[in-house]
Amino acid sequence: MTSPLSDPRQSRTFRFVRHAYADGVAELAYAFDDGAELVERITFPGAPAVPAGREAAFAAALRLLHLVAGVSYYKAGIPETIVVEGEPLDEESATLADALYLHGLAEFAYRNGLDLRGRIRFPFSAPRPAPPASIGLPKRSLLPIGGGKDSVVAVEAVKSIGADATAVWVGNSPLIAECAARTGLSTLNISRELAPGLFELNRLGAWNGHIPVTAINSAILALAAILYGYDSIVFANERSASVATLEYEGQQVNHQWSKGFGFEKTLHDYLHSHVAADLDYCSLLRPWSELAVTSAFARLGGDYFNVFSSCNRNFRILGPKPADRWCGQCPKCHFVFLALAPFMAKPRLVSIFGRNLLDDEALAGAFDALLEYKDHKPFECVGEGAEARAALAALAERPEWREDALVARFRREILPQLDKAELALEPWLTPGASHLVPERLRGALDALG
Amino acid sequence: MACGARDGKGAMSGRWGWELGGGGWELGGGNWGRDELGDGGWELGAYFRRAPEGAGDVSNCARQALCFQPPRANAGIARPIPISHPRSFAFFPLRRNTSADTSHRFLPSHDTKSPVSEIANAPLPVNAPWIVMKFGGTSVATAARWRNILELAASRRAEGARVLIVVSALSGITDGLKQLCTHTDSKRRSDAASALADRHHALLAEMSLAMPETLGARLADLAELAASGAAELGELAWQARVQAHGELMSSALGAAFLSAHGLPTTWVDARECLHSVALPNQNERTRLLSAMVEPHHDAALSAALASRGEVFITQGFIAQDEAGRTVLLGRGGSDTSAAYFGALLAAARVEIWTDVAGMFSANPRQVAGARLLQRLDYEEAQEIASTGAKVLHPRCLSPLREPRVPLLIKDTNRPELEGTAIGPEVREHAPSIKAISARKGITLISMESVGMWQQVGFLADVFDAFKRHGLSVDLIGSAETNVTVSLDPTENLLDSDAIAALAADLARVCRVKVIAPCAAITLVGRGMRSMLHKLSGVLAEFGQLRVHLISQSSNNLNLTFVVDEDVVDDMLPRLHELLIGAGALRTDDSMVFGPSWQSLYGSGETAAPGAAWWQGARATLLTLADERTPRYVYHLPTVRAQARRVKSLKAVDRAHYAVKANTHPGILKVLAEEGFAFECVSPGELAAVSAAVPDDVPLLFTPNFAARRDFEAALRTRATITIDAMHPIEHWGDLFAGREIVLRVDLGRGLGHHDKVKTGGTGSKFGVPIEHVDRFLRLADAAGAKVIGLHAHLGSGILDHAHWGEVYSQLAALAERIGTITVLNIGGGLGVPSHPGESALDMAALDRVLTAVRQAYPQFQLWMEPGRYLVADAGVLLAKVTQEKEKGVNVRYLGLDTGMNSLIRPALYDAWHEIANLSRLDEPATTMYQVVGPICESGDILGSDRRLPESKEDDVVLIAQGGAYGAVMSSRYNLRDEADEVLLP
Repeated sequence: MTSPLSDPRQSRTFRFVRHAYADGVAELAYAFDDGAELVERITFPGAPAVPAGREAAFAAALRLLHLVAGVSYYKAGIPETIVVEGEPLDEESATLADALYLHGLAEFAYRNGLDLRGRIRFPFSAPRPAPPASIGLPKRSLLPIGGGKDSVVAVEAVKSIGADATAVWVGNSPLIAECAARTGLSTLNISRELAPGLFELNRLGAWNGHIPVTAINSAILALAAILYGYDSIVFANERSASVATLEYEGQQVNHQWSKGFGFEKTLHDYLHSHVAADLDYCSLLRPWSELAVTSAFARLGGDYFNVFSSCNRNFRILGPKPADRWCGQCPKCHFVFLALAPFMAKPRLVSIFGRNLLDDEALAGAFDALLEYKDHKPFECVGEGAEARAALAALAERPEWREDALVARFRREILPQLDKAELALEPWLTPGASHLVPERLRGALDALG
Repeated sequence: MACGARDGKGAMSGRWGWELGGGGWELGGGNWGRDELGDGGWELGAYFRRAPEGAGDVSNCARQALCFQPPRANAGIARPIPISHPRSFAFFPLRRNTSADTSHRFLPSHDTKSPVSEIANAPLPVNAPWIVMKFGGTSVATAARWRNILELAASRRAEGARVLIVVSALSGITDGLKQLCTHTDSKRRSDAASALADRHHALLAEMSLAMPETLGARLADLAELAASGAAELGELAWQARVQAHGELMSSALGAAFLSAHGLPTTWVDARECLHSVALPNQNERTRLLSAMVEPHHDAALSAALASRGEVFITQGFIAQDEAGRTVLLGRGGSDTSAAYFGALLAAARVEIWTDVAGMFSANPRQVAGARLLQRLDYEEAQEIASTGAKVLHPRCLSPLREPRVPLLIKDTNRPELEGTAIGPEVREHAPSIKAISARKGITLISMESVGMWQQVGFLADVFDAFKRHGLSVDLIGSAETNVTVSLDPTENLLDSDAIAALAADLARVCRVKVIAPCAAITLVGRGMRSMLHKLSGVLAEFGQLRVHLISQSSNNLNLTFVVDEDVVDDMLPRLHELLIGAGALRTDDSMVFGPSWQSLYGSGETAAPGAAWWQGARATLLTLADERTPRYVYHLPTVRAQARRVKSLKAVDRAHYAVKANTHPGILKVLAEEGFAFECVSPGELAAVSAAVPDDVPLLFTPNFAARRDFEAALRTRATITIDAMHPIEHWGDLFAGREIVLRVDLGRGLGHHDKVKTGGTGSKFGVPIEHVDRFLRLADAAGAKVIGLHAHLGSGILDHAHWGEVYSQLAALAERIGTITVLNIGGGLGVPSHPGESALDMAALDRVLTAVRQAYPQFQLWMEPGRYLVADAGVLLAKVTQEKEKGVNVRYLGLDTGMNSLIRPALYDAWHEIANLSRLDEPATTMYQVVGPICESGDILGSDRRLPESKEDDVVLIAQGGAYGAVMSSRYNLRDEADEVLLP
């Protein structure tokens, strides 16, 4: 089986070879055709043995993780056939994987000029398993921390109702570690090591691009919840994550698909129907818009302001200067700056970013994209165009902002083309109805209002 | 520690002279032995040696002169002490006796040679001068530090002066007392008081002392105040009384310690001496907690104290009001107390003993090369203190100005350092900028209104709005239609809606724009306007920025530029360097400018720059010059040494020598032996390298605007090709089919020691802008080329290691999205210091920075391509003096037999090369020359304002750092022969 790796674009099958767990390490093995195995390892620090009574749930979650994490490898070659070795899948598992691969890789496909529709077919032949029982998970939550404003807002809401929770993150990021420490919660850092062969495949010309990383993290956390004993995984994905970035040849392309409500609901239901009846999966911020979240963040006050960053570019390296946390060049920086501006004193906001992004003429095009003016929304986790327009319209009314280059330009050039009735800020601050937050944490949901 | 007094402008570290924040600095203090400092027995030796007449001549001391005969302790020499020299600010050393100096760190009380016992035997005359010494919170917190105080006070006493020691509370005690004041519960207050008492008990135990009566009384007093609460005295008066106990206790403890160790010390209650005045703009709070004293020389007090002893200890931070209530002095409290006492006693000087040697020419955290300022006048010092330096609160200078009492800042841990001496204006020095500072977090309010000057009361209305919203205006710039003012950062500004409300108010009368975040960069120096002509290079630096406001103070002491905040960190070290290079910050004046902060406190390899190789090879070089000039000489051991420094970067997988710096085959061979790969930018360079190095040495081709035929030539070699434009991949894509290529990106910013060496940013012709990268990748894919690497290079001559970390991490973040990338090439630009006192690049720190990024992105190989770093120091240009010319009053030209034709860097980049007269290396440098070449260009100047020995025709002149971009950039302009090149193995 260990023929050397070759260009995965020439391969015909993608194989889910095996998965195993021992001593705190989950191993997930994949291969293209008969090529060398690609083995990803996920390490759960200080992991106990799989608790008695949770073995079946653990096995189901591990299998789910194997399926979900495969997306990183499958996309290298997108061969026409998918083979799942070992026990066959049931229809629901296959359907979940089909959807995840199709929609989660939609941006990847768009950017690479590919069409994956009709190509992704996970085989299934097993009957639907019996519904799982409750496995006695303790009433406490895993709160994934991303180092940005969203998870901080969610953490503080959960803290405000005194619920038991642990801040968790996957991977090595000093910024997230510092942010997690600042929450005052207990912390859990899970490490994920991609198969080294993947880098080799990339060198050999593999397809590459965006993957639905939140789905992978979610599956990792499901395993962690069973292992360490948590009854809920509480993400901080907001309403706008469900809105597509663009539509391309009839297919919705959403950069944040696995942060959207559709995936949340699918995974939530799947965990209940295939893994454990008492394991909940939800997003606390789901009813809220980006603007509502930024306004909640602004209200939190000083402690987080100088440690958080939603910027994806300067994510890895932590430094003392604002420029070490906020590159000022990426759409995340632009959007977060804009969304915080209506809710925070201007001198404070500019001190967080180290500069005033709205007074920089060179960023006109970047902000236009956020507004969906002359361009589509960027491929980043940013709010809706209408939100950005509402925020900028609010600033256009503020004497301390209205003369800044991009605000003045907005007033002059863009505002006259917009329907004033659709620019109010207030509607964005009221919650929507859909969410999957379990009863135990509803109070935290209310705390955000 | 000044009782939390330095919290006025954000969180400042009181420990360092400047705001150093995060505490990442280490004192290198312990590494400096006395041997390295030469004749360290003289604490103020430099002043003394420079002005022996003034200092020693009693008759010159017009105002007050005292003759006395200090005890002959060991070799101690008796010297008369002039007190306040009225005109020339003679900062006369009150000379220290040798034994006190050399044993200052340890002074066992049983030491029979202790200066203390000898001093105690020699009574002082009643009119002996006073020296006020102030010690802060950390200096009084341990027995070891008190031994230090004992030593220093004893040495001052040995100089023949009465000593008044002013102390702060033990570190942490004032905060504890403030905390105590916040408790409403009497039990909690008492617990807090007893915890604070325990600190003093513990220190007493460490000192092996019994409880002295004075301290016992204070502790009892505090317990009583804590138990009873504020009811009787009133809240504010009670708080002041409670907080005063920090100093009352520390001074009582100190009196006991000093007296027990042979220095009889009298405890003085500062409240008996310092009386606060009520000012009209004060309220009850400020009268009690930020009180002011207006001290005048009080001969009676001086005499009364003199009758009570010779060494005294008293409290900083506290005074008494007219009603006899205890009051606090607020910000800068203890330093201010010392100044008040200095004025009250008309002291010979006030010494502020702290943890840093004094004021520096810039914040050392931002500018490691910042120089110690050894002499300042009151106004300059106050200006520097107000605009950035935190070592001294600006308010503690004004009490000393009128009585002309000098103030000396000294490092308790390093008493041998000269420190900063602040006194009356020094007239005999050339005007110089003394310091640059930056204050961040500034908000500007720009107000625009047509014809505002015609409207009576317009400005009054405007400023009334600021007052209403509690905002205090600092700088003001005005034009016919615009007034722009600056606001310093305050919590009120940051987290309230004050700015929004202000803007709303102002918007009713004018067009308003809030510009933030800004930083005010201030140049401080007496006679600023007379230095403007030297600032053109500096102003050019500002020319690339958004300068929102320029303010030149009416007192002619400062020049302030308000710019965007994000440029400041990179800019400050450059400005400091530019000011030195422009001759505006006269670091060559060793009277004013002391060592750099880096050399005093820094760690790493830069502490003591070694002598250049050519100083040891003088004879050889003179012989070579006799054979022929102009001539380049390259010292291969220096090339090897630099190569090994680069190789010490463990994070770097492959180092390339950028051969454009020097293509001499001998140098190429040496670097190949040292394991370097080679970076070439033209087919010519590829050919030169191929001819000189073995066939298996990796090559990199990194051209700019190269022609198709250049790529064709390079593709025939083994070189990895870097493409830095869209055109080649778009139009000549076929060339690269099946090839692995590297993409040079422009990260959108540039760095470097001169405009013309910056290689990033839209003003630069290098690299593919980030927004075009995706298109480049698609084109490469279409052409069948595989992009395996990303390359960026920000510029040259960069001495701050952090920059490569930024480039590296930005490239890595970019590369992560591109699957095929395996290599990141972060370029070169490793700086080589050229000016005296400039710090070398800290390679260990650079490696740490690179390693940190590497750990985050282990999947990428790291390449670098230094050039100048490897060869600059190894080469010198030898030339001969042809003639001299004098012009004007004082301009002397020294002509050499070569100039910009051999070395164009000074003309092209304003580069600074050290110039030495090799024939007269041992003679004193007495003459200021403009060193020029024979080319018919007014720019043919190798060095301006260079102090050299008086030089003669045929003297051999050496121009240092000629190893890089020297011979390779030479020309035959004017049809003059090129310099030849010689290798020294």
